[in-house]
Amino acid sequence: MTPNPRLRRSRYIFASNMAANGAVCSSKTKLQDGRCVVKEVNGVRNIFSEQVEYSKLLETKDSNGVPPKKKPVRSKESFEEVPLYTAVMTYLGFYLLMFLGYFNQLFFTPKVAMEKNREGYVPLFDRFESFYLRYVYRRVRDCWNQPICSVPGAEIVLKDRITKDYGWTFEHGSPVEFSISTAVTRKVEPTLWYTGTFTKCLNLGSYNYLGFAEADGPCADAAAEAIEMYGCAMCSTVQELGTHPLVVELERTTAKFLGTEDAIVFGMGFATNSLNLPSLVSPGCLVLSDEKNHASLILGLRLSGATIKVFRHNNMLSLEKLLRDAVIYGQPRTRRPWKKILIVVEGVFSMEGSIVHLPDIIRLKKKYKAYLYLDEAHSIGALGENGRGVLDYYGCDPNDVDILMGTFTKSFGSAGGYIAGSKRLIDHLRVNSHAACYASAMSPPIAQQIITSMKIIMGEDGTLEGKKRIIQLARNARYFRRRLKQIGVIIYGNDDSPVVPLLVYMFSKIGAVVRTLRTRNIATVGVGFPATPLMEGRIRFCISASHTKEQLDKALEVIEEISDTLGLRYSQLPRFKGEVVYGSDDESQ
Amino acid sequence: MLVGGHGESNPNTTWLQSRGLWISYILGVLTLHLILLSVPILSVPLAWTLTNLIHNACHFVFLHVLKGAPWIPQDQGDCRILTHWEQIDYGQQFTATRKFLTVVPIILFLLTSFYTRYATGHFIVNFVSMVLVVLPKLPQFHRVRLFGINKY
Repeated sequence: MTPNPRLRRSRYIFASNMAANGAVCSSKTKLQDGRCVVKEVNGVRNIFSEQVEYSKLLETKDSNGVPPKKKPVRSKESFEEVPLYTAVMTYLGFYLLMFLGYFNQLFFTPKVAMEKNREGYVPLFDRFESFYLRYVYRRVRDCWNQPICSVPGAEIVLKDRITKDYGWTFEHGSPVEFSISTAVTRKVEPTLWYTGTFTKCLNLGSYNYLGFAEADGPCADAAAEAIEMYGCAMCSTVQELGTHPLVVELERTTAKFLGTEDAIVFGMGFATNSLNLPSLVSPGCLVLSDEKNHASLILGLRLSGATIKVFRHNNMLSLEKLLRDAVIYGQPRTRRPWKKILIVVEGVFSMEGSIVHLPDIIRLKKKYKAYLYLDEAHSIGALGENGRGVLDYYGCDPNDVDILMGTFTKSFGSAGGYIAGSKRLIDHLRVNSHAACYASAMSPPIAQQIITSMKIIMGEDGTLEGKKRIIQLARNARYFRRRLKQIGVIIYGNDDSPVVPLLVYMFSKIGAVVRTLRTRNIATVGVGFPATPLMEGRIRFCISASHTKEQLDKALEVIEEISDTLGLRYSQLPRFKGEVVYGSDDESQ
Repeated sequence: MLVGGHGESNPNTTWLQSRGLWISYILGVLTLHLILLSVPILSVPLAWTLTNLIHNACHFVFLHVLKGAPWIPQDQGDCRILTHWEQIDYGQQFTATRKFLTVVPIILFLLTSFYTRYATGHFIVNFVSMVLVVLPKLPQFHRVRLFGINKY
């Protein structure tokens, strides 16, 4: 595994004009003599261009002899760095947690670690490897894996649970009864603990971008009919008896939706990546993968045996440097050319909320003759005017991307994944892919749900429902992000992406925010180390088209309140002072 | 709890690069030193020597003795035979983190020698402790296990 490229963090980069040719170059940054000056490269200021521009401005003056005011070019993405004081406090929190954990582990053995009837056997779990799980994660475990009792739409019904032993076990009870009975009576009656309650909460944690997670509606009816006709599962692989008419129709519809020649679908999204990459690349190939790629991509690339080099997240200069070195120097010792060079990126990165700079990658790919694998797990259906993903968002040609991959879990309210591309590629995968050969085929009602929802998005059912949902999602996402920035919290990512990570840094604060929001009937997801980098603990909001403006306003009100009590206003960027109007920036899309 | 699901298969390799680590580390050593200085029995040279020894002992245990990571690994167990030092930055040598962690025990040793006025007893103890901590950090000692200690 190659080393992490994030070794030098410079806030400003010095991009000379030649190197900047690989970066985004719109018409407004072209100087008169045709040179290309890049003002912002991936959200980081380019000092050289500012000096050049400023000197040019000094030359031109209006009639009064005053140089014209420079209009600031605002980048759509921001990744503000953590304030140093907060970073030190976060470390302090971790020191304390670790110290207490080691102390606890040394002197007290928990119930779960005492194994019965296993004398003479090796212990089941290594003490060191279960340290983090038992002494850090366990303390805030009630924030994750919450049992739900309804479909995860805009509102979700959560089952209340309480823990009497600090996270080791849970019981179905009401938090209010628990605190009253221990404070007042000091004696617990068994009947009190089992009258559990359910809470209806606003759902800001589910991947439901177009709002297709519904228990009734045309999709659910069609899926129920599919069960009647074809049964629940095919119980066989695609190469044997698993192919059924719905899978064939789904593949055709997916290819039409994306604008490619052909597509192949699989029952599981993670497996689509991890089991197909080994049939696409092999030892002797070079793969350039983004720093923040998902675990499924990393696993698939490791299984394939290809050489992996990592470039800095969404950084085109880093990618271009790696491409140049790969083409010039070839394989490490033999200096032979690489068999193929594959660039692997995601459309919307689910942990950062950033959107890949697709036009630049396509330009680089064509220049250096590499292949491109685009994982649109979160962007398909969620971005673009017609919901066709990040290609639609930028207006790029689907034929430029060699391998389009995506999942049906997020925007279509279903499960599974697809790979789309040229017919030759898909035929190769149908024969050689591990998933096509060994994994069981997609189940009929799942396939039908996707077909129905895809037809709604494309507008083929005759209504404007699909278009309405796409517009609603785009408006919701932009409104929510602008309001959050106005509150003054640090959020990552692109202004248009529906994934909104709100940075809270300290580990206990993640737990505190999730629990506080829960008491105010908002269900959210927090993520901390080791799933994210140590200094980037966050709460991740997923905006849906089924959220109304009133629901978002209520959520924002609560967030504004707790950002004072829990201390979340870390941002030092200037804040927009006026009123954010819902849907006011449609034309700037 | 999924470990390193976005980017790295083993977060142990990169968490030392996080912002604010150098300051926090130095503050930690300083806090330890101030606690020792405030114990009335210990003289100043003894407090310095104890700081050096305790720091080096913790440093050695956490970086060069404990192997693997405190979570179930997502990289199919590749990290289980490697100490934390060997995991840093996936084995790449002379990165900023490694240089920092090599330099801190040396600077601490120099300060300790100064404040103990180069007394022989203190010097020997501090020197041995420093060598024990700095030697495993040399690239020649990457994945070397002397006398089969700590091999599996």
